[in-house]
Amino acid sequence: MIKYIEAPYYLDLLDNFLKTNLPEWAALAIEYVLIGLVLLTAYAVIALALIYVERKVTGFFQARLGPNRVGPFGIIQSVADMIKILLKEIIRIDNVDKFLFYLAPFFMIVSSFLTFGALPFGRGLHVVDFDNGIFYLIAVSSLSIIGVLLAGWASNNKYSMIGAMRSGAQFISYELSAAMALMTIVVLTGTMKLSTIVDQQEYVYHWNIFRGHIPAVIAFVIYLIAGHAETNRGPFDLPEAESELTAGYHTEYSGLQFGFYYLAEYLNMFIIAGIATTVFLGGWQPIQVEGWDGFNTAMNFIPSFVWFFGKTGFLVMLSLWVRWTFPRLRIDQLLNLEWKYLLPINMVNLILMVIIVIYGLYIH
Amino acid sequence: MSSVSQYFSGMFKGIWSLLTGMSVTLKELFAKKVTQQYPENRKTLEMSPRFKGVLIMPHDENNEHACTACGICQMNCPNGTIKVLSKMIETEDGKKKKILDQHQYDLGMCTFCNLCVITCPQDAIIFDQDFENSVFTHSRLRMRLNKEGSKLREKKKPAPVAKPAPEKAAEPPAEASADKDNETKE
Amino acid sequence: MEKIKELILKTVPDAVVDETQKLTVTVTSDKLHLLAKTLRYNEAMPFDFLVMMIGEDQGEALGVLYMLSASQDVSKELVLRTSTTDREKPLLYSVTDLWETAHFNEREIYAMLGIRFINNPDMRKFFLNQDWVGFPLRKDYDADPAINPVNLESRDIIDIAPRIVETEQGLKEETVRIFEEDDYIINIGPQHPSMHGVMHFRTSLDGEIVKKIDVHSGYIHRGIEKLSESLTYPQILHFTDRLDYLSANINRHALCMCVEKAAEIEVPERAQYIRVLTDELNRIQSHLIAWGTMCMDLGATTAFIYGMRERELILEIFEKLSGGRLIINYNVIGGVMFDIYDGFQKDIHAFIIEMRKRVKEYHKLFSGNVIALGRMKDLGIMTKEDAISYAVTGPAGRGSGWSCDLRIHQPYSIYDKVQFKEIIRTEGDAYARYLNRLDEIETSLEILEQLVDNIPDGDFQAKTKAIIKLPEGRYYQRVEAARGEFGVYIESRGDKTPYRLKFRSPSMALVSAMPLICREEKLSDLIGIGGSMDYVIPDIDR
Repeated sequence: MIKYIEAPYYLDLLDNFLKTNLPEWAALAIEYVLIGLVLLTAYAVIALALIYVERKVTGFFQARLGPNRVGPFGIIQSVADMIKILLKEIIRIDNVDKFLFYLAPFFMIVSSFLTFGALPFGRGLHVVDFDNGIFYLIAVSSLSIIGVLLAGWASNNKYSMIGAMRSGAQFISYELSAAMALMTIVVLTGTMKLSTIVDQQEYVYHWNIFRGHIPAVIAFVIYLIAGHAETNRGPFDLPEAESELTAGYHTEYSGLQFGFYYLAEYLNMFIIAGIATTVFLGGWQPIQVEGWDGFNTAMNFIPSFVWFFGKTGFLVMLSLWVRWTFPRLRIDQLLNLEWKYLLPINMVNLILMVIIVIYGLYIH
Repeated sequence: MSSVSQYFSGMFKGIWSLLTGMSVTLKELFAKKVTQQYPENRKTLEMSPRFKGVLIMPHDENNEHACTACGICQMNCPNGTIKVLSKMIETEDGKKKKILDQHQYDLGMCTFCNLCVITCPQDAIIFDQDFENSVFTHSRLRMRLNKEGSKLREKKKPAPVAKPAPEKAAEPPAEASADKDNETKE
Repeated sequence: MEKIKELILKTVPDAVVDETQKLTVTVTSDKLHLLAKTLRYNEAMPFDFLVMMIGEDQGEALGVLYMLSASQDVSKELVLRTSTTDREKPLLYSVTDLWETAHFNEREIYAMLGIRFINNPDMRKFFLNQDWVGFPLRKDYDADPAINPVNLESRDIIDIAPRIVETEQGLKEETVRIFEEDDYIINIGPQHPSMHGVMHFRTSLDGEIVKKIDVHSGYIHRGIEKLSESLTYPQILHFTDRLDYLSANINRHALCMCVEKAAEIEVPERAQYIRVLTDELNRIQSHLIAWGTMCMDLGATTAFIYGMRERELILEIFEKLSGGRLIINYNVIGGVMFDIYDGFQKDIHAFIIEMRKRVKEYHKLFSGNVIALGRMKDLGIMTKEDAISYAVTGPAGRGSGWSCDLRIHQPYSIYDKVQFKEIIRTEGDAYARYLNRLDEIETSLEILEQLVDNIPDGDFQAKTKAIIKLPEGRYYQRVEAARGEFGVYIESRGDKTPYRLKFRSPSMALVSAMPLICREEKLSDLIGIGGSMDYVIPDIDR
C-alpha cells in the first residue's frame, strides 16, 4: 500500500518503461532532461508560492488582509506579478560595466539553483547525493555573494556600492557561523552524506536536534540566525536596507534581472529552511515513535515530501515572524552579533559536541 | 568576572526583549484585521454628514435653486475655484433683474475650506458627501452646478432642504453640466 | 524686563523702544550685533533663544526683525528691529555667531528679500535656485513666469558657497567649498524612502560614517507667505493646514488666536475647549505617525502599520467632527466651524482607553527591543546648549533637557486650566526623543480626560464682522505644535489683508540641527536620527 503513495514507485515505472522501449543512453538522456525540467518548474513554483505566503502572512502580522484581489484570497497574485516582471522592459543603463552588470543576476540564480538541486525532498526524491553533501551545500550557496558584489560594483551607483560592501562583510561573517553549526551536527552524525543523515533520523528522538540535545539545539538556533543573515532578509537586510539605500545592490536592476534577485531571495529562504530541516529535524522522515506501530503506519500514509515541505514551511514561518517584528541591525551591531556572540558560542558548542560524542552522551 | 556576567546577562536580556516583541506580533497574527474592503462595503459605508466631497447646488422638484448670483462665494474663494456668471433679464413687470446664468466650479482647484458654504447668504450651495470624483480628464473636473433651465426659487416657498439624503448623493452634479461629453462619467 | 530695558538703553543709547505690542527695540544696522551680543550674554536673563527672524520690505527700507526669548523662561519676549535703506545691495550683520539657528533664517531672508549678511559662513540662497531672478517677498517683485522659466535640463549641483566676511581691510567677498575635492558624496533625497518629504541632504561619507551634511531645501516651496499678502484673513486660514499637515489644527489655532488678539474678538469658552481637545488629538496622531515612521526608518515596518491603525481612530473622530481627516479645516476666526457632534465625548473616552492599552503594546514591541536600543541610545546627541542655539523645541528640545513647553510656560487658550507634567529627558539622544513622544501621547490623553466631560454650554463661535480688518500693528502668536514651537507674525496696515505674514516653522530648526548631530555617526543612524527629529518638509518649504 505504502509504496503507491511514494515517488520511487512511479519513478521506477517510468525508468523501466523508458529503458524497455529505448536504448539506455537515450533513456538516460530523457531522464536527465526531465529531472532538469521538473527542478526548474519546482523552483519557480516554490518561489511564487513563497512570495504569496510571505505577503499574506505579513498582512496578518500587520493587522491587514494581504493580497485578496487577484483570484480567490489573492492566490494568483504572485502569478500576475511574475507575468508583469517577465513583460517589463530591461532598462539599459549607460554608464555601467555592461558585462558584469548583466552577469551578476545569473550568479545569484545559478548558485541558489545548485543548492536547491541537492536537497532531499522526499524518499527517493534526491537528485544529487554526494558523499560530502554538506560541504557541497555550503560551497555552492556562498557563490551567491558574488552576484551581490558584482551587482553593486557594476551598477555605478553609490547606494549599490555601499549595499554590496555591507553584503560582503555580512556574508563572510555569517558563512562562518552557518558552516560551524552544520559541522557540529556532522560531528554527531559522522557523515556528510545527506541521505545517510536523513536515514539516521528514523524515530523522533533520533532527529539530530533531540539526539544531540543541548549542543544540537544551540547549533540549530545559530544556524537559523546565520542562515537568515545569509539570505539578506529580515533584520539582516542591510545590503538592501530600503529606508537607507533605497534598494541597495539591486537599485539599478529592472524587469527580469530584478526578478532573478527577487526569486533567488525567496528561494534562498526556502533552501536555508530546507537544509535546517534535513540536518536537524529529520528531513522527510515522518514523525515515528518506536513501539507505536499503529501511529507509525498512519503517519507513513502521509507522503514523505509532504513531511519535508511541512517542516520547511514551519521554519519559513518562523523566519517571517522574525522578519516582520524586528528593526534592522546596523552594520556594527551585525558584526558584533557574529564575532562576539555567535562565533565564540559556536566554537564552545563544537567542543561540547565532540565531548558528548566521545563519551556517547547522546541519545541512542 | 563582572564583564563575563555582563556578557551573559546582556545576551539573555536581549533575547528576552526580542521574545516579548515577537509575542506582540504573534497576538496580532490572530487578531481581527482592520482593512476596509472598499468597493464591497460601498452599501454600508457611512460618510460623516460634515464630510466635504464635492460642491453642489440643491435643486427642488420644480428645478429651482436658491442662488441669486450675488457672487459672495466667488469673492470668498481663496483660489478662484468658483465663477458665478450672471445675466440681466427683464421681468414681466418690466424691471431689470440679475439672474444666475452659470455657476462654475472647478473641483480640481478646490481646497474644501468651506468658506463659500459658510458665507452664502441664501444657503444655495452645500458640500455633498460623494467622494468618488476621479475622472480621466482635467476638463471633467470643471462642473456647472446649476441645472439646465433651472431658475431662482420664489421667496414665498418654504426654505430649501438643508441637506439631501445620502442616496441622492450618488447623483453626480456633473450630469447636469453644460458640456455633453460628460455622459460617460460614472 | 525693566532691567533689560535699562541694559538696552545703556548699550545703545539711541535705540527706539516701543512697548505697544511687544517690547520692540529699533536700532541702526551697525549697532545691532553689539546689542544682540549684549542681550545674548547678559547675566540676569540671557536671551539665548532666537524664536524667529522676520525679513520685511518697508518700502524704502529693507529690514529684519529678531524675536528673542530666554531659554530659562520662554515666556519672556523681546523684538529687535533693524533695517537698511540700500535696496540695490542691502547688507546687514549676521548673528549666526550668537544663535546658530540664524544661519538658515538669514539664507532664507537672502533668497526672499535679497538682504545679504556679513560674516554668515555660507550665503547661498535657501529654498531658491542660486540663479533665481528677483526676490519674491519684496513688494516690487515681478512674478512673471517668463523671468524664471521652469528648467527642464539636468544641472549639476555646484558645492561652492559665496560669503562676505569682515576683515581689517574692510568687507571681502569670497567663495568657500562645501565639500573637499575627493569626498564620496551621496544624495539622500529629494526622492528617498525615509526623508519624510522632499528634503535633500548632500552627504559626504567616509565608508559608512557621515562626514558632512549639506541641506538643500525648497523643492516644494509654495510661497505661502507671499500668497497670503493678497488674501483676507479667513482665506489665509486654509494655508495653515498645509504647512505642517500633521499638526494642521494647531497651526490654524495659532493664526486664529493671532487674528482674534489683534481684532479683539472674544472667543466663547466652549470653542476654546473644543479647540484644545482637537489640538491634543492632533498632537497624538502626529506623534503616532512620528513613532511609526521612526520605527519604519529603523526597519520595523510592522510598527508603522500599528501606529497608522491607532491614528485611524483619531481621524475618524475628526471626520465626524469637521468633515476632514488630515486637513481638518476646523478652527475659524472667533471659534470653530461646527459644534461637536452627539457622541463626541463617548468616542473620546473609548479612544483614551484603547490608546493607553496600545502605548503599552508599543513599548513591548519596540522600546525595549535590544536591536532598537542599540540603534537609538547615545546616538545623535544634542546638548542643551545646542538645542537652544539651534532653537530646537518640541519633544526633541525637551529630550535635551530644555524645558520649553509653551503650554506650560506661556499658557494660551485654556491650557492654564489643565494640569499636566512637562516631559523632559536630559540624555539628548535619539532614544530620549523617541520616548518623549510616547510619553507626550500619555500627557495628551490626560489633558483630554480632564477636558472632555467639562465642555461648557454656549456658543461655539463668536459673531465676527463679515470683513475682518486688523488695526495697524505687529502681532505675534506662539503655540506648541507637535514638532515644537509654531509662531505666527502678522504685520497689518489696517487692511483686510496682511502687509507681511510669517510663520515660524519648528521643522526648520530641527533640520538645521541635523548636520551637527549626525556628524561622525553612521549612515544608518543618519536615517534613525532623522526619524527621531521627525521633521515635516512642507512646514519648512512654506
